[in-house]
Amino acid sequence: MARILLVDDEEAVRNAVARRLKRNGYDITKKASQAEGIEEVNSVETPYDVVVTDMVMETPDSGLEVLKAALTRDVFTEVIVLTAYGNVANAVECMRRGAFDYVEKNVPGVDVFELLDAKVKQAMERRQSSVSGIRRIERYMK
Amino acid sequence: MPIRKYIPFGLQENTEHLLDIGRTIVEVDDIDVVLQTILEECVRVCNGTRGFLAIIDHDRGSMNVKYVTGPGWADDTKCALINVSEETGKGITGRVAATAESYMCNDTSKDPYYVELFDDVRSEMAVPLSDDVRTRGVLSIASTSENAFKSAHEYVVRNLCDMATTAMTLADYRRRERAIVRIGGELTGITERTEIIEKVLQITAEVLQFEDCSVFLADKDKKKLSLVASQGTMRDFVGRAEYEFGHGLTGCVAKDKKPLRLRYPHLDPRWSGWHGGMEPERISAFLAVPIFDRTGVAGVIRLQREQSKYPWFSNSYTAEDEKILTAVADRLGTALDNSALLDKLIESERMAAWGELSARSAHMIGNRVFAIKGDINEIEYVLGEENPDKEELNEILAGAKRGIFLLEEILNEFRMFVKADKVDKTRLDIGALLKETLGEFFGKRSGVKTSAEVPEEPVMISGDATKLKRVISELLENATNFLPADGEIKVTLTDGLGRDTARKPKKKVRAADYVRIRIADNGCGVREEDKENIFNPFFTSRAKGMGLGLPIVKGVIEAHDGVVYEDGKEGEGAVFNILLPK
Repeated sequence: MARILLVDDEEAVRNAVARRLKRNGYDITKKASQAEGIEEVNSVETPYDVVVTDMVMETPDSGLEVLKAALTRDVFTEVIVLTAYGNVANAVECMRRGAFDYVEKNVPGVDVFELLDAKVKQAMERRQSSVSGIRRIERYMK
Repeated sequence: MPIRKYIPFGLQENTEHLLDIGRTIVEVDDIDVVLQTILEECVRVCNGTRGFLAIIDHDRGSMNVKYVTGPGWADDTKCALINVSEETGKGITGRVAATAESYMCNDTSKDPYYVELFDDVRSEMAVPLSDDVRTRGVLSIASTSENAFKSAHEYVVRNLCDMATTAMTLADYRRRERAIVRIGGELTGITERTEIIEKVLQITAEVLQFEDCSVFLADKDKKKLSLVASQGTMRDFVGRAEYEFGHGLTGCVAKDKKPLRLRYPHLDPRWSGWHGGMEPERISAFLAVPIFDRTGVAGVIRLQREQSKYPWFSNSYTAEDEKILTAVADRLGTALDNSALLDKLIESERMAAWGELSARSAHMIGNRVFAIKGDINEIEYVLGEENPDKEELNEILAGAKRGIFLLEEILNEFRMFVKADKVDKTRLDIGALLKETLGEFFGKRSGVKTSAEVPEEPVMISGDATKLKRVISELLENATNFLPADGEIKVTLTDGLGRDTARKPKKKVRAADYVRIRIADNGCGVREEDKENIFNPFFTSRAKGMGLGLPIVKGVIEAHDGVVYEDGKEGEGAVFNILLPK
């Protein structure tokens, strides 16, 4: 079962996102800040498959910090950054630094939860293919 | 010493002090000391019995005996008022003042002008203190012997009187210089345009003579001048009198960017008509200088003098007066510039705050809407199931409602912040309002210990009841948020500020005319480094809220001309004080 870490400082947001993702049977861990999120990334026994993090929490680029921590812990962890209005610049910076994608929370006329669900699925697929690729290389090297 | 060459023969032994007088004038700042010294020196040089120096009051047309020397001066003769007059029998001093010519009388019993002040006087000599423009005073020496004074005496006394006039002019310069320096200093702290102009008028009145001093400011297009302030006869025309650039004497000053100094201005072809104040024929002196700021001519400052009742006094403005007024106009221009810059700065800060406010609210509203969308997504999903779970649906609905409530709260906070300074004041009992707010607030939340100390009799103030209630609730809410399990909130209302006036509002109101509301809790208190920021927008130590709570409090209290501050100790609890004028 895929394990997802969800970091957002708004309780209502955490609950809504977690509920939606649970429908697919993912195992969701919720954290309420950049600091808590990074602490979790570093201390958890097995790295998370996907990290979904809000962009603006303690600072305007909290999401970037979570991303850095997640990739430092396990380079195959896929990170999706959530952004509210007007933070596309930061989200693009996340992409440059290896995030899987970013999802804008407020896109008029779009059910962003379905979009997020799709992104998480894609992220899981990429992670699996990356991991299996590495396994093949490992086997070949033996 | 070459000066001795000019001292008439026979007086040399008496004039040794003459050079010291020159030094006194330059070195001694106190004009009274200088004039007294000169008077004494004159009497000594002429072997006089007594002497006095009378100073002319140009506005009243009379003289005051201000300095005396010799025996027999009683207090009433000392301050005697002397008329200025050319007529016979009205006194030698008065004649000298009116004609500005020395007068020597060597037999008082036969003199047509002599008026007796002391019965032992046989000779009197009076010399005017005159500069190029006006006579400022008369120095008089009396002797008990007949034929006491010779032309050589008059010569020396006239020189000493010239020195006295120079000393008086120097004292005027010093006084004016100090005033000009003071304008600079006193204007630095003032940012309100009207206050700046008032201050300038006030200081101008101290250094220049006028019946009216008016300040006109130019409009943006530099086409029209409007009277914005006046001290004197134009006061009633503030906001009404106007000149177009190039029209009228005042308009010409603005257009030509040059000062204008005239006698009888209504005779000048540029004179465009009369706006009120003094009758045109009576205006005998006119002085107007342009005020410059960064944009060019910002306005005109203008002085007018009425015709003197005493024809022997000139009341024209001098080149010196023009220099002074130009210096005043310079200071005024700089101060207006600074005030405009400050306005701009405040405006740009306000715009930046608006930008910040919009970004914050967009973020917070965006987040809430996102969560509500999540709830709707979930409701759709549950409804799509074969047997929708009603209980689950209700739960999600409750979440969505909460989300919408939070949204409304943000909007409300936003609105309160924007409208904080718009208050609708009525007379109200602040004690009753305080008790009512406490009741409503803690009716909803039990578990917090509260105590209220409010005077029994009503404490009436002018205030906006709704906004003040909101302010108190906000502070109570704030206290509750940081309260430990055994938390307590103490609310105190005191009538008057008592001895603690350290934070007394700037406005000049007596401490007794204020009430103090103190809201103290025993929570963690405000961190020392946060104290100066807690009233700034968006400064919040909680994740929730926009950080507008305390800024709203500040806005509302300041709109009431009050003050709010926090003076608790970190670790011992927060103490908020509100001072409101009654």
